[in-house]
Amino acid sequence: MPALDCVDIEVDGGIVALTGASGSGKSTALRVFNGLVPHFYGGTVRGRASVLGMDVLSHPTRELARSVGFLFQDPELQAVYATVDRDVAFGLENLGVPRDAMVERVHDALERAGIGALAGRAVNTLSGGERQRLALAGVLALEPRLLVLDEPLSQLDADGAVSLMQTVSDVAARDTTVVIAEHRLEHVLPRADRVLFIDRGRIGATAPPPPHLEPFPVRRTAVATVGAGHWSLRDVTAGIGQAVVADVNLDGGGDVVVLMGPNGGGKTTLLRTLAGLISPLSGSVERPPGRVAYLPQNPTSLLHRPTVRSEIEWTLQHSPGGANANVDAALHAFGLQHVAELYPRDLSTGERQRAALGAVLVGGPALALLDEPTRGMDAPARHILVNAIHQLRAAGGSVVMATHDHELATAVGDRIVQVKDGVVRVVPAVERVPA
Amino acid sequence: MNPRALCAWSFAALTVALATSNPIYRALVLLCALDVLVVFRRRGTHIRGLLLAVAIAGVVALAITVLFSHTGTHVLLRVPDAIPALGGPITVEAFVFGATTALGIAAAIIAGAALSIVVEPHELIDALPGVLARSGAALGTALNLIPGVGRSAVEIRDAQRMRGWRPARVRDWPDIAVPVVLTAIESSMTLAESMEARGYGSTARTHFSVSTWRPADTIVTVSALAAAGIFVALRVIGVVGDWYPFPTVTVPPVNVLAACCCFALAAPLFAWRR
Repeated sequence: MPALDCVDIEVDGGIVALTGASGSGKSTALRVFNGLVPHFYGGTVRGRASVLGMDVLSHPTRELARSVGFLFQDPELQAVYATVDRDVAFGLENLGVPRDAMVERVHDALERAGIGALAGRAVNTLSGGERQRLALAGVLALEPRLLVLDEPLSQLDADGAVSLMQTVSDVAARDTTVVIAEHRLEHVLPRADRVLFIDRGRIGATAPPPPHLEPFPVRRTAVATVGAGHWSLRDVTAGIGQAVVADVNLDGGGDVVVLMGPNGGGKTTLLRTLAGLISPLSGSVERPPGRVAYLPQNPTSLLHRPTVRSEIEWTLQHSPGGANANVDAALHAFGLQHVAELYPRDLSTGERQRAALGAVLVGGPALALLDEPTRGMDAPARHILVNAIHQLRAAGGSVVMATHDHELATAVGDRIVQVKDGVVRVVPAVERVPA
Repeated sequence: MNPRALCAWSFAALTVALATSNPIYRALVLLCALDVLVVFRRRGTHIRGLLLAVAIAGVVALAITVLFSHTGTHVLLRVPDAIPALGGPITVEAFVFGATTALGIAAAIIAGAALSIVVEPHELIDALPGVLARSGAALGTALNLIPGVGRSAVEIRDAQRMRGWRPARVRDWPDIAVPVVLTAIESSMTLAESMEARGYGSTARTHFSVSTWRPADTIVTVSALAAAGIFVALRVIGVVGDWYPFPTVTVPPVNVLAACCCFALAAPLFAWRR
């Protein structure tokens, strides 16, 4: 089955948003613009594609790079060199730009990407948002006429997403055409001049209302049974080597606790302590009897079985009493029935996320610990996650999750706990302001 | 300091350390190299691990020589002959020879390690000659991936453990190794794709970073290479030779010029400023 089927796209100026479900062919379409399809990925292409008068099929990507900039999803995997200005220069070096011109263009690109102040910094000291701007600067330095962005916001927090989109708008205003695929449509649609919808490899006539813009179902019932799934942290000080969080007293049972606060504040340390992955430096941790599930920050990296079904079965085989669980019901609950027999790493990003969710949350854990569960998630995966959390809670399980996602926190959270500078504070209900 | 000058110094120190088995020269090289390492190490680097590794390598070399050589006149104790290989006399001479070997290993490791402790790996790659620049970019990228692979290995181990994984047999380890390797391959593919999209592989290539070469770098390079050259020459004409503590330990002979060559390896301490 072709990834794209008789697609006709003509782009000429402005910001064009490409929407569609995970696995619909958006990524493939984007990669035709700079020839990564077919030059990098291989495969067969029929039809014609041209950019600025150049035939994509007969020009290699490295030549198209002069005119077409491409920004990828993962901020961590786009830097080639260890310092910011050096990395921005990488593309210019490849194109043989003389050194004197290079210095000026690197400077301009950093300014346009809004990170002029970071020029001499080491790349590994940057935040995710800064790294994505660095990648953007590396692309802008080539002064492309067409800028293609593949899910550029998915790994960013709300502030990072807003400011990156502002920069992209500024770029578009300066005679550069922008094509962007992104599932966080709330950031993109207000700025888009045109919206194209791709459905199973074909351009749809009219886009259906994006599911993401529908609010999550909020189902709040009284906390099931006191004592079920009960967990507690008593006077806990934790960290690796040195304390990241100090004197934490927190407990829960049958409810959903949301940890919010800035990066580096101690959210992940608290989750890992509660999971038993690190021992507290002092204080005591109590976990409920039964399985404790833990969703790490990059959950799709844990996939390792030949099929999605065996991925789910593997977790059940390794958990006490899991052998009797109904695998088909679990596959259905996570929307995986149609990909059950496929290799998980061949799936689209959204399907992989659901497979990882299923692999971690299957079998009704007594306590589920989720670290930034919606980071990089598309709309269907988010809905499945919200439903899974509601179900866990209804069955008497407890959930503790760290997130920046206000929408998710409002939809599922019973209590919001602010974790900042290693100090934990329960946020009173009146302070909760929806994002 | 210029990474190329450091490379020249490191090469010279290695040459001298390996050119003779005379422990006096080896000790002098070790001393100079250790000084350079301690004085010029990058901020934030720790050399405790390196020193520990050197100590372990030294002790292992010493133990092997002492336990297996069985030559020399001054016998400390005798291991019963019934024990295969180990059986035989343990001598003062074997001990001294083992220590000499350990000195050589330590001097060589420290001289080589200076490259990674004193300058960033990326500075070294940038210092590669022009023809190798493209391989250098690929190498630099690979280096960038290494910390990520380490982090992802820890993450994956934790994640699988929380899914109930308990390593009991060797057969269980693929449950960690397979996803770590797959994730690393996927990361490399993504990075390769983004490099391609930024024009990597074009024919004409220019360079952004120009490393500065100061007079101090000339002093370090010339003195280090001259020292190594003279030392090797002395070795060739027989003024400097190998030294063995067999059959009995003697005081190793020292040639003044050769010793000066070793001291010249301390030139960075005077030429470069920190």
